[in-house]
Amino acid sequence: MNSAAVVVLGQGVFTVLGTLAAFLPPNRRAMAAGLATGLLGATGFATGIVAFTRPTTMEVGSGLAQVSIRLDPLGGIFLLIIGLLALAASCYAVGYVSGPSASRTSWIALTLFIASMQLVAMAGSVAVFVVGWESMAVTSLLLVWTEHQHSRAVRSAGLWYAAMSQLGFLLILGMFALLVSTGGQSQFLNMHSAVSTGSPLLRSGVFLLALAGFGMKAGLVPVHVWLPRAHPEAPSHVSALMSGAMVSLGIYGLIRIVIEVLGRGPIWWGLLLLAFGGVSALYGILQAVVATDLKRLLAYSTTENMGLATVAIGAALLFIAAGRPIPAGVAIAAALLLVVNHAFFKGLLFLAAGAVLKATGLRDLDRLGGLVSRMPTTARLFAVGALAAAALPPANGFVSEWLLLQSLVQGERGSSTVTALALPIAVAVVALTAGLAVATFVKAFGIGFLARPRSEAADLAVESPMAMRFGMGLLALIVVILGLFPTVVLHRIALATTIPGARPITATWARIQLAGGASLAPPMLVALTVAFGALMAGYVRWHGRPRRTGALTWGNGGVRLSSRMEYTATSFAEPLQRVFDNILRPEQDVSVTPVAESRYLVERVGYEQRVDDVVETRFYQPLLAMGAAWGEWGRRLAPGSVHRYVGYVFGALLIAFAVISL
Amino acid sequence: MTVFGVVTALLQVVLVAAVGPILVGVLRQLRARVEGRVGAGILQPWRDLIKLLRREPISAAGTSWVLILAPVVLMGTSLAVAVLVPYVSTRSATANSSDLFAVVALLLVGTVVLTLAGLDTGTAFGGMGASREITIAALVEPAVLLAVFALSLPAGSTNLAVIVARRVSDQAQLASPVSLLVVVALTIVTLAEAGRLPVDNPATHLELTMIHEAMVLEYSGRDLALVEWASSIRLVILLGLTANLFLPWGVATQAGALALLVGVVAFLAKLLLFGAVLGIGEVFIAKFRLFRVPELLAGAVVLGFLAVMAAFFLVQGSG
Amino acid sequence: MSNQFVQALNLAAGLILLTAVLTLWIRRVSTLVRLIALQGVALAVLVGTVAWHGHDQQLGLLAFGILALKAFVLPYLLRRVSTQPGEAETDPLVNVPASLLAAAALAAISYAVTRPLVALVPSAQVRATPVGLTIALIGLFVLLTRRRAVSQVIGFILIDNGIAVVAFLTTSGVPLVVELGSALDVLLAILVLQILTNRIQAVFGDTDLDGLRELRD
Repeated sequence: MNSAAVVVLGQGVFTVLGTLAAFLPPNRRAMAAGLATGLLGATGFATGIVAFTRPTTMEVGSGLAQVSIRLDPLGGIFLLIIGLLALAASCYAVGYVSGPSASRTSWIALTLFIASMQLVAMAGSVAVFVVGWESMAVTSLLLVWTEHQHSRAVRSAGLWYAAMSQLGFLLILGMFALLVSTGGQSQFLNMHSAVSTGSPLLRSGVFLLALAGFGMKAGLVPVHVWLPRAHPEAPSHVSALMSGAMVSLGIYGLIRIVIEVLGRGPIWWGLLLLAFGGVSALYGILQAVVATDLKRLLAYSTTENMGLATVAIGAALLFIAAGRPIPAGVAIAAALLLVVNHAFFKGLLFLAAGAVLKATGLRDLDRLGGLVSRMPTTARLFAVGALAAAALPPANGFVSEWLLLQSLVQGERGSSTVTALALPIAVAVVALTAGLAVATFVKAFGIGFLARPRSEAADLAVESPMAMRFGMGLLALIVVILGLFPTVVLHRIALATTIPGARPITATWARIQLAGGASLAPPMLVALTVAFGALMAGYVRWHGRPRRTGALTWGNGGVRLSSRMEYTATSFAEPLQRVFDNILRPEQDVSVTPVAESRYLVERVGYEQRVDDVVETRFYQPLLAMGAAWGEWGRRLAPGSVHRYVGYVFGALLIAFAVISL
Repeated sequence: MTVFGVVTALLQVVLVAAVGPILVGVLRQLRARVEGRVGAGILQPWRDLIKLLRREPISAAGTSWVLILAPVVLMGTSLAVAVLVPYVSTRSATANSSDLFAVVALLLVGTVVLTLAGLDTGTAFGGMGASREITIAALVEPAVLLAVFALSLPAGSTNLAVIVARRVSDQAQLASPVSLLVVVALTIVTLAEAGRLPVDNPATHLELTMIHEAMVLEYSGRDLALVEWASSIRLVILLGLTANLFLPWGVATQAGALALLVGVVAFLAKLLLFGAVLGIGEVFIAKFRLFRVPELLAGAVVLGFLAVMAAFFLVQGSG
Repeated sequence: MSNQFVQALNLAAGLILLTAVLTLWIRRVSTLVRLIALQGVALAVLVGTVAWHGHDQQLGLLAFGILALKAFVLPYLLRRVSTQPGEAETDPLVNVPASLLAAAALAAISYAVTRPLVALVPSAQVRATPVGLTIALIGLFVLLTRRRAVSQVIGFILIDNGIAVVAFLTTSGVPLVVELGSALDVLLAILVLQILTNRIQAVFGDTDLDGLRELRD
């Protein structure tokens, strides 16, 4: 029995154990089930390693229950992501779950959710992929719906999510049907050569369906609307898994089908992906920068990151179409690195947001604050995640952003007119996105954790239990390691970006070297900064008298400041909101109440502001209203009279006959 | 890693750190003279710094480690950039790490820690300054990266040492439309990032108009000294970078003591020239309204974009 | 020798492009007029370079003519037209950041459109033609979106300059008569404008073009 079989069997065993552990009595359930899901994650991680060291395909079971498994580097990367995230989220969940999220159903759904994501990444044939995909959607829906008894928001989020993921599933099913009928081949391994002779029209059809279906999972604009609803309402360890792992599988699908199976295509494929990716990135981060709900902010930032990954894939397609494998290789590597890094920092951020939610009951940044002294560990870990999400060194987000920009800049040399126009625009969009991401995460950390608490709940917060801190700490460690030594994962990614004849990236432990000449040495940058910082810190500490603390802050004349005078998340983002007024279209309402005696004396001024998702209000609501009108009309056809129904059947039969006889 | 490389790197960092406050002094002195005042002399910022460095820092009630750590990180990133960017020589020990994207990111880390410190104080002014600063930083990003893009096209690399060396050897690039457009874009970026007029007024005493100053209101003693020193270093970094990209003469591309000496003298001369233009220019312009600053930055973005277009369509293959 | 020619040509083209973008950016009319003068100088340099390179004396003379007309006479007249000292384009129909982005888009379009032309004759002169087209398009954009009468004339001058750039770069010069004719057109337009603005100002005390719409009712 080889190692691949052992690890895959291990996953099966732990899936069963996790399911069984959920049936234990509540006092032992969390520990046992958390252990089982954690180990499921760990074995999945091991499978990922095996996928790199010895890629294999195998058939498990026989007859109708035959399952085709394929372990290859591309899937391996996603197995690593899912494995580590599941491990961290399980540890966290042991300390986090309570009430409905600690129920039997919830634990079973979590186990099966992790297992089905792993199945998608290991799928060797269309059938396995589709089964894994659908069970992933259903189990995650159950998890989103966990707290459906508590709030309307959860129920509405669940409905949106259910509707959109089913629609996405249908699109993907249609895509596979087209793919299999074109090539007559349902194993991924041989699909590329089978469909390479297909007609251009069919190939483009497959491409469009794949973009729509996987784009829906990845939360690209305009099919992102489920994401900012479902992520905030799910329990936080589930949000972390969904945003870090499940959404990434949308990108996995895109790379698997569009790059690996379809490969070279017309130039508009790449441009379309660039456009969708750029719009998603920019729109996502603009919504994030004005969001005041911490988890909603994180959800929109997911749309942004998936948009960036899509930009990278689009660029890769352009380069492939132009017959330039080296920049294409860099671009695909950038897409994968973006997804890997995003998975870990976003997982960390969602877990930390969950810790805040558990300690204060709040997700509203406008009412948080002061947590840095009340939840010191959580605050530090969130800071690490925020640094990564803002794409700043020394965290991992910076490296992927750098690789993305390099792939765009390098691709410009010696390109055609279309790319020469598209790439600078892409660079500008990526750069603006990066700038706004910095603003977003300065807001999230600075307003959420620093200064004084803005509500009593935030004032009374206490640090999370050990298990939760361990889960977050694990992810923070990964984030920093990947930031300092990205080579650890870049070696693997280089294996996965199989474009013949290209060796775009060479990397030593300290330096990434691209074939185009650019190089980056993250340890060097950090070492320099730390060295000079330490020099300065040492000098000033040694130099003079000790620090005095507890002074009053400057308030233009000595009034002790209350927390009501602090800047809030809304006011912090106000300048940016004003700059991007035309896109965000905020709704503001000022109401003035005069005192009873005179209307010139104001008793109170109320100010209300809402930033809705423009895509939702301008695109989906009219669509839904139209659907409702259609339904109304349809209902008139069905008054309940049996005679009328029989009449319909009869009429349909006659029409059918008429059609046949023509 | 040669001895020359290490010496150059150390020389650069000492030079930039020493010149920073002097440059600020020069700017103030020039302004004073143009306005008909005597001025305090170009060494006044250094005297202030030495005095402040002896004083104890005071932390306001309710602040955290962020406030204490920020000046140190700001200083660390600023000095790290001072090592990386080729100011006097393209052959320094760190030359192969001077990627322009990395330099921009390091500067941004400094901006971010300072905004966090502003938020940490919990005052309305701190938040206000942080909010404005981060708005500008976010909008500067596309302008600066497009400028980088345009410069990297003829050099074939985003590495600053390579770009500068290429511009020294091929001086035909200097008088090209790409250079012209990029110099305007980078000047705007410099003004915005270093908090100079017309984006921010470094001499203001009115809290409501402050950007940078509002964030550092709570700093005192050694902390304030570090923040002020780092700000002046950042001004040298940005101004020196713009100067070296457009007047690359004198930057040492070979090893040797004489080349290094020429490099230092040339760097100081260029800095003085650009500083003088900036200092005198500032006398004649007023600060923009905050919401006109995005116009300025949008202009920089467009110029950057046109520069990339020009680099691709005009210059490629014709030189 | 030829390298210097390319450099001078590109530099002049770059300067023309820069001044055109700046006209969208700047509101104060007096600064706008200065920019137009600067653009006139750049255009003259461009024509002079082409003349010098082709040893074309007639073209050289024309360069001096352009310098006199576009860098001195037109700006002088424009300055006389804008009577109020602080007159500014305060409220354009499309705001400044959006117009700047539009300028970028126009530049992209003209690069794309002239691509086949450049591929046909990939000389340095032809490579710079998109700049001319861009400026003509920016001029049209100014005509469309600015309210002041003076800004309208500036848009017109931009179009004229753009056409001149394209013409000189592709064919080494339009017939002298045509160029003179178009320049005289502008001159005439300004004179008419001057009379008009004086009259309008006498009546309304303002030269906002939106005020003219009321005349129709």
